[in-house]
Amino acid sequence: MSTPTVGIVLVSHSTELAAGAAYLAAQVSGGTVTIIAAGGTDEGDLGTSAAKVADGLRRADQGAGVVVLPDLGSAVLTVKAVLEDHIGKGTVLLADAPFVEGAVAATVTAAAGGDVKAVAAAAEEARHVRKL
Amino acid sequence: MSASYEQGITLAGDLHARPAGALAVAAGRFAAVISVSAGDHTADAKSVLGVMGLGATSGQHLTVKASGTDAREAVAALIAILSEATKVGG
Repeated sequence: MSTPTVGIVLVSHSTELAAGAAYLAAQVSGGTVTIIAAGGTDEGDLGTSAAKVADGLRRADQGAGVVVLPDLGSAVLTVKAVLEDHIGKGTVLLADAPFVEGAVAATVTAAAGGDVKAVAAAAEEARHVRKL
Repeated sequence: MSASYEQGITLAGDLHARPAGALAVAAGRFAAVISVSAGDHTADAKSVLGVMGLGATSGQHLTVKASGTDAREAVAALIAILSEATKVGG
């Protein structure tokens, strides 16, 4: 399809967790959405990296905006700090969602052609879906 | 013109993550309101987590219902996906 889809950035304290969630979301959604894993510090330790997040936002944006999912508290702080410098560089929404479920739900909605608000909403609705 | 359609299918395999994802991606491309039911449980077909939450397994009967202008096409597309995607594990 020629219409760009919303991009996804997964920000985790763990390099492996971000990469694993990105792989899972890509597999479930059919692999048509740009998902960037921004996990770990610049040195690859546990933590988050403003540089990785900023790079992720740039790479994820295919022209339809980006939805960012952080895993734990300070990942949110890192994303917010990056977003303050990102004003005017495209629509980015920060989703308040469970990391794995939100990543899967957001990516599937992006793959179906949902806009940036619909993709963020899908991620946030993941909070209310019971698995048992 | 708005219309409602429904069709049932007996699953040839379990409704794992990837077939559930394929179903939800396809459902999201239609304007129609679409649901998938398994036994007493009904999920929004456009919600991958809802579809996974059905926990539908091989041999179970599912019903796809849709209402809206493209309801007929939506039901046909989702039944086709359920028929194909559950043939292999995922």
